[in-house]
Amino acid sequence: MKKIKVLLLGILLGALFIGCGKEETKKDNIRIGTSGGYFPFTYTEKDELKGFDIDVWREIGRRLDKEVEFKTAKFSGLFGMLDTGKIDTISNQITITDKRKEKYSFSDPYVYSGAQLFVPVGNPENIQTIEDLAGKKVAVQVGTNYEEVIRKAAEEVDFEIINYDSGNMIKDVEMGRADTFMMDKVSIIELIKKNNLQIELAGKPVEYIENAFPFAGNSENKELIDEINGAMEEMRRDGTLEAISNKYFGMDITSR
Amino acid sequence: MDFKVQAMTDLFPILFKAVGMTLKLSFSSALAALVLAVAIALIRHFKIKFLYGITGIYISFFRGTPLLVQLFLLYYGLPQVFPVFINITAFGAAVLGLSLHFSAYMAETIRGALASVDKGQTEAGLSVGMTNLQVMKRIVIPQAIRVAVPSLVNTSIDMLKSSSLAFTLGLAEIMAKTQLEAASSYRFLESYLTVSIFYWVMVAVLERVQRYLEKRLGRAYEQRSRDVKSRGIIQRFWRDKGIKGYKLPA
Repeated sequence: MKKIKVLLLGILLGALFIGCGKEETKKDNIRIGTSGGYFPFTYTEKDELKGFDIDVWREIGRRLDKEVEFKTAKFSGLFGMLDTGKIDTISNQITITDKRKEKYSFSDPYVYSGAQLFVPVGNPENIQTIEDLAGKKVAVQVGTNYEEVIRKAAEEVDFEIINYDSGNMIKDVEMGRADTFMMDKVSIIELIKKNNLQIELAGKPVEYIENAFPFAGNSENKELIDEINGAMEEMRRDGTLEAISNKYFGMDITSR
Repeated sequence: MDFKVQAMTDLFPILFKAVGMTLKLSFSSALAALVLAVAIALIRHFKIKFLYGITGIYISFFRGTPLLVQLFLLYYGLPQVFPVFINITAFGAAVLGLSLHFSAYMAETIRGALASVDKGQTEAGLSVGMTNLQVMKRIVIPQAIRVAVPSLVNTSIDMLKSSSLAFTLGLAEIMAKTQLEAASSYRFLESYLTVSIFYWVMVAVLERVQRYLEKRLGRAYEQRSRDVKSRGIIQRFWRDKGIKGYKLPA
């Protein structure tokens, strides 16, 4: 009996050590977390990771002579990966917000866009401004800055918030399960064109947003951030950044 | 109707590549969970002091909190508090999470199966001088396994499908690949139908395993093979009609 007890205890303790392997971190490579589910910034086509963010980083990597490694995970897992040092930064159109600035160091902005409300074609509920949301069902993705915007707006105007993790809020608005959703203006315009979605813009952008790359706020990263800002500055000056933007959006979303 | 079979066939090769990850995750976790579960079940069956209390809390916690929460805690939460855990890999965390979570369910299944064996069996074994371990090995476990198999296979099937949560940790298994492609191709029905086929095939294999196990383990309980009921439908039909050619051996 005693031997069994020891064996059993050993098995239980052994369970704690499953998977204790070391993750390699080389100084010459930048690990980027991205969701792969945000067309056309980061998406997969035939199992290949593509998109605006991907192109921008490949270019930055070239200029800094560093290897750029992409790690895909669900959006809700990206900040966790950043916090535990599994990745160096996130490239998923992360908007600069005050709350995020407290915790992370951001690079210079690389995209200027707007938080936009979208409605089914024809705007049946006639939504033009935040005030028009009263009594409506507003869809928003959890963890995004748009969720923050909506929650703040909910303090003034009375409407129902429907949270989405990865489920398709765009399709739900198309179908009428929700009256409107808020997302960034430029990518949804592209998505509408690509898949012929039955949705349209509602009113003007509620808020102008600037997107950048968040880094853990320590001193090692400060140097890295400066290098990346330098590379991006070069890319602006010689027009490369604008060219990448035009490739995906037919316009320059990288300047104000 | 707007349905493109092309969207399904396009997804097939992508999923084939990712199936390895799904299987690796599920298989490793199922094995680890089983080992853990047997250990825990035995502890609880024999009511070993001190460990009995700990395993009670263990089972309650891992059944009582969602798997996703447990994965988050292991991969993102623990490293914040204990920096030593930063070195755990995504795969390691996923297997650990899945194993711990499902071992709690499996442990209860096994404990129930052990309890289902008539106490008289144990008493008889002990009375002829066997040790507890010998009784377990020779008498109780062989009878208990048969009872435990359907439920354990159930849990394994559950684990196979729960492996899809690993994408939150960054592991690209088949559900993740499906969601990503669907988000860009906008072919949701086709994509989700395709991945359903993959899951169904894998589960069908597990069901086969279950049937085999039940047959093997149930050999001692089978009726004589000459029993009429084990004959084919057609033969029985003609025998009932009194046709000579389909005579069944006595």
